[in-house]
Amino acid sequence: MSEQSKKYLIQMKNVDKYFGEFQALKNINLEVERKERIVICGPSGSGKSTLIRCLNRLEKHNKGQVFIDGNELTDQIKDINAVRREVGMVFQSFNLFPHMTVVKNLMVAQQLVRKISKADAKQRAMHFLERVKIPEQANKYPIQLSGGQQQRVAIARALCMKPKIMLFDEPTSALDPEMINEVLEVMVDLATDGMTMICVTHEMGFARSVADRIIFMDLGEIVEESKPSEFFGNPKNERTKNFLEQILTH
Amino acid sequence: MAALNGWWDDYFWGALVIFQVFFCSLGFMIIFGLLGAIAKLSANKLAHKVANAYTVAFRGTPEILVILLMYFGSAIFLTAVAQLFNPEVKFVDIPPFWAGTIAISLIVGSYATETFRGAFLGVNPGSIEAAKALGMSDIQTFVYIRIPEMWRIALPPFGNHMLSLIKDTALISIIGLNETMFVAKQAITVTGKPFTMYIVVGAIYLGFSTVVTLSVMGLEKFGERTTAGVK
Amino acid sequence: MIVDFTLIAESLPIMLKGIGITFQLLIISGFLGLILAIFLLLMRISGKWYLSFPAQIYIYVFRGTPILVQIFIIYYGLPQFGFIRSSILWSILREPMGCAIVALSLNTGAYVSEILRGGVLAVGKGLIEAGSALGMSAYQKFVYITAPIATRIALPAYSNDVISLLKSTALASTITIADMTGIARTIVANTYAPYEIFISLAIVYLIFTFILQKLFGYTEQYLGRYTKREG
Repeated sequence: MSEQSKKYLIQMKNVDKYFGEFQALKNINLEVERKERIVICGPSGSGKSTLIRCLNRLEKHNKGQVFIDGNELTDQIKDINAVRREVGMVFQSFNLFPHMTVVKNLMVAQQLVRKISKADAKQRAMHFLERVKIPEQANKYPIQLSGGQQQRVAIARALCMKPKIMLFDEPTSALDPEMINEVLEVMVDLATDGMTMICVTHEMGFARSVADRIIFMDLGEIVEESKPSEFFGNPKNERTKNFLEQILTH
Repeated sequence: MAALNGWWDDYFWGALVIFQVFFCSLGFMIIFGLLGAIAKLSANKLAHKVANAYTVAFRGTPEILVILLMYFGSAIFLTAVAQLFNPEVKFVDIPPFWAGTIAISLIVGSYATETFRGAFLGVNPGSIEAAKALGMSDIQTFVYIRIPEMWRIALPPFGNHMLSLIKDTALISIIGLNETMFVAKQAITVTGKPFTMYIVVGAIYLGFSTVVTLSVMGLEKFGERTTAGVK
Repeated sequence: MIVDFTLIAESLPIMLKGIGITFQLLIISGFLGLILAIFLLLMRISGKWYLSFPAQIYIYVFRGTPILVQIFIIYYGLPQFGFIRSSILWSILREPMGCAIVALSLNTGAYVSEILRGGVLAVGKGLIEAGSALGMSAYQKFVYITAPIATRIALPAYSNDVISLLKSTALASTITIADMTGIARTIVANTYAPYEIFISLAIVYLIFTFILQKLFGYTEQYLGRYTKREG
């Protein structure tokens, strides 16, 4: 464990990822400090989702190194789940467990993975449900909730694990427009609270107001990496300009 | 294995009988299945009721009962009819081959009814609408859109129906069909090697099942050629 | 043709004496078959070829051959070997009932494991990923996410297999067991009234099929309670 890799919460060094012949990630280098908020954007198929899925090893990278809080993710890693419980993830399609009520969805991993007692798990679950403003839905099944509500439950489920970092994989892409804001509000709230976050999203308003850094990806590469003011005001790369034009003038 | 010497040709003829039963029953099974599906989808209440009764009865009754009933029942009936004309007649029956073939096609046809019905209903209404919007006639829509889509939906369960037919052939030996089970029985009385003789029967059936399975897999590949590569 | 109702009234109670045997066959083989199916399933999804390959071969052989052949191999075939007759298994395999239960369990186990596997494969990949992202172990993901959802998905197919098993118990009559079908065959041999006896027995089986379907229907509703928007 090098001192340098301990300094950053997340560090990716020269990471390549292939799906068969197709190279999804090309020589990715990325460092994320504690409490940093990063937004990753880019056209579909650019490797954004693959990048963050490599951070909790839902995808295995083929080359390079990935460090989470100083621990390198390798095949030899003894307990990947010890790393995963420190990394919360929110999916585009929510992925709530359909056969469990909302509160059970929040409790199950606390009890199984964190070995927290049932009473404590429930208390924490209710705490985070209140935080995402839907405590009254605790005993419903996921299918009985709107998309926006489901995604807020999914965020609460990840938060219950007290993660050191939250990954968001296009959390609002599957939502109807009127539900996007309720989810973004929760995310802004989290950011204000000092949570380290990496969000893959096309919500440029959110990126502008919350992100410390914006990363633009295309064809598996990080093309541009800058502060929001620079990113929107004075994008350097031609591809970034094209993308911004398309997304801001639709 | 020496015990098998001299029995191979009998097994061969027995296997040929399995093959014949399979082909005849396949034809009947498709007919029964299509008739059942059409009746179930029709607006005619009586047809609907008859088809329902058919599927409930044949899916819920043990196969062996259907076969016994078909054979002995028809024999009683035919004997009674024959005696009307000639009181001397003692016994008339349908050959076990046909009684058995009809019995297993009725049984498997009741399952095929649901398969065909499901396939008909499973066609995406969107593609039918799209075909109409493109100005395709009803017949064109049926031939170019509905049939190919139905076929793809029905093929995997249809493969299972074919396997059922093959395996149900063994049950017809109970009413005296001279297929491989029957051969084994004769061979056992001579050689006293029941395990060896029945294992050969099992191997023959496994061979038939394999051929059917591989053919269905081939057809599925063929059916999927338009969707291959699409994720 | 005249239906002999007195014969039916006299024979039904006699046939129903075989109900205990039919149920024993159904319940014991169903239970043992399910246990076997779970073992086979775990072998198949273990990701280790030396576990999944034997399971695949087993399933292939038992699904590819007729159940009647399997029953005959076990009942008539196994005693061909001296070592079986001197083993502890002999106390089971000596009895027709033991052989029938062994054969039905081995057979249904192969089918049910494929049904369960279908259920497991149908569980959404996203849910498993969500479990991984929360740090759940492979065992925890299987027990708390995959198994409960797969059970619900597999239940309709499983209920069909239990009904198939009920129908297969009738084949026990071919190895001298006096289940309902066995008794019916004896009565028909004596009275030569296949219509009355076999049809009334078929109705008895249909009633049991109906009851089984209802029971599974309720279970499905219970297991599927989270799939309906209206709580």
